[in-house]
Amino acid sequence: MDRLTLVKRILGLAVLIVALGFPLIVTQPTMVNFAILILMAAQLGVAWNILGGYAGQVSLGHAVFYGIGAYTSSVLAAKFGLSPWLGMLAGGAIASGFALLIGWPCFRLKGHYFAMATLAIAAIVEVLVTNWDYVEGAIGIYLPMTNSGWAGMVFTRSKTPYFYIALGLLLLSLLVSRILQKSYIGYYFRAIKEDPDAARSLGINLARYKLVAIAASAFLTAMGGTLYAQKELFIDPGSVLAGSLSIKIALIAILGGVGTLFGPVVGALVLIAIEEFTRQIFGSTGMGTDMIIYGGIIVIIAMFSPGGIAGLLGEWERAWRARRKLVYTPPGDGI
Amino acid sequence: MTHLTMTMLAQTIVSGLMIGLIYALIAVGLTLIFGVMDIVNFAHGEFLMLGMYASFWGASLFFLDPLFTLPLTALMLFAVGVLVYRLVIRRILAAPMLSQIFATFGMMILLRGLAQFLWKPDHRTVPHALVEGKITLFGLQLGTPQLTASLGAVLVTGGLWWFLNRTRLGTALEATSIDREAATLMGINSERMFALAWGIGAACAGIAGALLSTYFPIFPEVGADFILVAFVVVVLGGFGSVAGAFWAGIIVGEVEVLGGFFVGPAYKNALVLSLFLLVLLFRPRGLMGKA
Amino acid sequence: MKRLFRGLGLGALGCLLLASAGLMGAARAEDEIRIGAIYPLTGAAAGTGVELKAAAELAAAIVNKEIPLPGNLAAGAGMPNLKGAKIKLIFGDHQGNPQVGATEAERLITQEHVVALIGCYFSNVTATASQVAERYGVPFLNASSSSTPLTERGFKWFFRTSPHDDLFVANFYDFLKAVEQKKGVQLRKLALFNENTLWGGETTKIEVKLAEEQGFTVAEKILYPAKSTQMTSEVQRLKAADPQVLMQSSYLGDAILSMKTYKELGFAPPMVLANDAGFSDSEYLKTLGKDGNFVLSREVWALDLADRNPLIKQVNDLMKGRNGVNLNGNSARVFTGVAVLADAINRAGSTQPEAIRKALQETNIPADQIIMPWKGIKFDEKGQNSLGTGIIVQVQNEQYRTVWPFDIATADIVYPFPKWEGR
Repeated sequence: MDRLTLVKRILGLAVLIVALGFPLIVTQPTMVNFAILILMAAQLGVAWNILGGYAGQVSLGHAVFYGIGAYTSSVLAAKFGLSPWLGMLAGGAIASGFALLIGWPCFRLKGHYFAMATLAIAAIVEVLVTNWDYVEGAIGIYLPMTNSGWAGMVFTRSKTPYFYIALGLLLLSLLVSRILQKSYIGYYFRAIKEDPDAARSLGINLARYKLVAIAASAFLTAMGGTLYAQKELFIDPGSVLAGSLSIKIALIAILGGVGTLFGPVVGALVLIAIEEFTRQIFGSTGMGTDMIIYGGIIVIIAMFSPGGIAGLLGEWERAWRARRKLVYTPPGDGI
Repeated sequence: MTHLTMTMLAQTIVSGLMIGLIYALIAVGLTLIFGVMDIVNFAHGEFLMLGMYASFWGASLFFLDPLFTLPLTALMLFAVGVLVYRLVIRRILAAPMLSQIFATFGMMILLRGLAQFLWKPDHRTVPHALVEGKITLFGLQLGTPQLTASLGAVLVTGGLWWFLNRTRLGTALEATSIDREAATLMGINSERMFALAWGIGAACAGIAGALLSTYFPIFPEVGADFILVAFVVVVLGGFGSVAGAFWAGIIVGEVEVLGGFFVGPAYKNALVLSLFLLVLLFRPRGLMGKA
Repeated sequence: MKRLFRGLGLGALGCLLLASAGLMGAARAEDEIRIGAIYPLTGAAAGTGVELKAAAELAAAIVNKEIPLPGNLAAGAGMPNLKGAKIKLIFGDHQGNPQVGATEAERLITQEHVVALIGCYFSNVTATASQVAERYGVPFLNASSSSTPLTERGFKWFFRTSPHDDLFVANFYDFLKAVEQKKGVQLRKLALFNENTLWGGETTKIEVKLAEEQGFTVAEKILYPAKSTQMTSEVQRLKAADPQVLMQSSYLGDAILSMKTYKELGFAPPMVLANDAGFSDSEYLKTLGKDGNFVLSREVWALDLADRNPLIKQVNDLMKGRNGVNLNGNSARVFTGVAVLADAINRAGSTQPEAIRKALQETNIPADQIIMPWKGIKFDEKGQNSLGTGIIVQVQNEQYRTVWPFDIATADIVYPFPKWEGR
């Protein structure tokens, strides 16, 4: 283990400890909420990254999995009184099933075509849910605020539990991501992404591994959807199935660095920070200034750091190693 | 439906055709940019919005009808397109597809914010447009602004097709879109071609905006209503195919209107998207796209 | 060079974060009473949101006596019980997004230390933002979201001044029956044409239910996708259904597009009965001009009621002077909402949330101290104003004229809706 790797490990551990202790040190609810938003966004980015980054299948329709998660747990809770914890698993399972169903035909498509197909599927599902009376259609579902506590995953007094659930989900997603990346499946992912034709000629069943990726990605994304429903206690198609949400999920990973383990976490941190601060500072004027700055920053980052923030850091790392005459790290191996 | 008549059906088909032609005009710009340089432009709806505002200000400040200022609007949007290419797109040509999406998406938000900042978030309409009212033809009612707009769309799309296939510059542009490297070897300056594609693409959206401005409300977010449908048309017609986008625009317009009429308006977007999905799955290169 | 740019970019980002952190902790004056107001200030509804902001600011200026106001407006009294303290409105932008609404509510409560909240126009955003207020125990006054379940949630801190959809829809049917009697016509065959979000979905549900109960038939029911590029298929279906009354719920953009499509396709049912929102937005008539005429709309307010209530003209003149637009049903309700909050805070004589909540509960503002045509403002145990009423207005000569209830009407209803050709 060289010095840089050691530093990185220590840094990682420090970040984890700070994260675990965060709500104990910072009690300001806005900051806790801000942190929850970052964790939730990061979790979605990491989940998206399994499919979009590792397996190289860019989805612009992830809101559909998110929505399935939110709707499944909410319908089960509102109509059958089922615990959202079980609802979360049920939502994940249904989302995975749906993912396999759409993955099977769509994985034949390449690049833009796959992205467009996912965009269309998500939009179709949004229309169908909007007109589906059983799940309250356009009206949306209210979840009761009563029964605060861990059993019902509703916390009215303090948001700290939401923080830990979001953190737990993020760690779970990182773990799944890591396991997939390090296992033999991860090697196949890289093969699929970098040279699909060669991979196919080696007899790798591309479709099967892509299906693993989309199922895992959908499951985790749906879990995030359940957390959203339990946190806001109201869902409607516009808030959990919107096309803009799909794009935001992809943006988080892209901004941070696609195909890196922690890239989406960094991306979430930066994107949510920009979003929240520009709105808080400039949004109240009603002049559109917040959008100008938010959009401007995105353009600038895309222009000057096309590999995302992780790409930038990776570049610095390589430069540092080169100066130190240390081992060369191939690009895309994460920060 | 108690009073379904043949006139009603014919009327629906004609209305679908008219809106479909507008979709086509918006989409040809998008497909041109995509065809030449493989970039999906999320900010295309905002070019449309800028075209609408240019017409609006021409009409309310200088009392010039959008139809008179149309060439000027097209020129202005051409300049905007070239500018966007020079300032932003040129730098991300080699970047992965994802960061390109990211850049144009950021631009979309930026332009919407800018429009709200400069012109307020109000809904506006062009005052005293030259074309107003409607004409009745064989019992069919055709709004004059809609009719003018769809005729304009046919002319512009046809003109663009002629330019790409029958002029030197246009053929050079087409050559770049088919094989960039070969075109460069033939002495075509691909940088210039890219800028040209962005200019023409934006100008098409601008013209669509000018034509729409006579009957569609103008506001900073107006592009959002059209962008998804424009993507659908581009894919359906085949990425990069102007003729394909033209026919696909009409098909989308018809499916939307007829589907809405027979199946139910709530599902009209879902129907269009389902068709889109089917085409993607069974004929991914679209109606007339290059294989 | 490239690297320099990147460094600069990241540096700028850091500065932004630091600056905002600094802003969040800025010191504030002691003698101001901070009220949070959450509206859609960017996004598709920004036009409406900015107008609501202006109305709220006008109300605050009157309470603070920056503008002298003659008459006995509830808000005109200022804050004598708090030694003439000033209220300060802190605005939040919810962008039409329920999660952003909740985030803004929490920020305003915990960072800006507002003593009460007002908002949010969109019913679905009001739903999430008011939950935050409920969690923190901060009064939330809702002035203009009409979704009925909002006051059925058993919240302790939620108050709504405006009547809700149940009442509005009931009004529709009362109105139709009254017109049937007065004009000797039949208005039993309905077409429902509502947009597909919370508001339109819920309105449809209530309309269908009451139609059955009261002996009306629904010939066509369309929940259309909001923000459409065209409405041809919708209008064709409506034409095919050939209704006696078209009942429509649309926000601004759709309201404008639908009227243009009616004109284009020559659709003119005997009665077009709209559900406020887009049809009472100031930009509706500014955009459509005479093509906006003859639509009937349920309303909570109309300028022509000034003959009966002089306060209306006075307040409207102020709005017109400051912002160049007349008040409308949306902005008048927000104006009234801020006034009601100010009245309660003054009576509470304190900025303690519990004291304000108690004062709100005891609110009893008589009809002649508000600019709404209501019997007054008094909240029931659910926090719903029990004295609110709806009116029906009709656009005549590009002006909103009150046509129902008949006893306060300023104009007779034009029936039927004239064919487009003869206009």
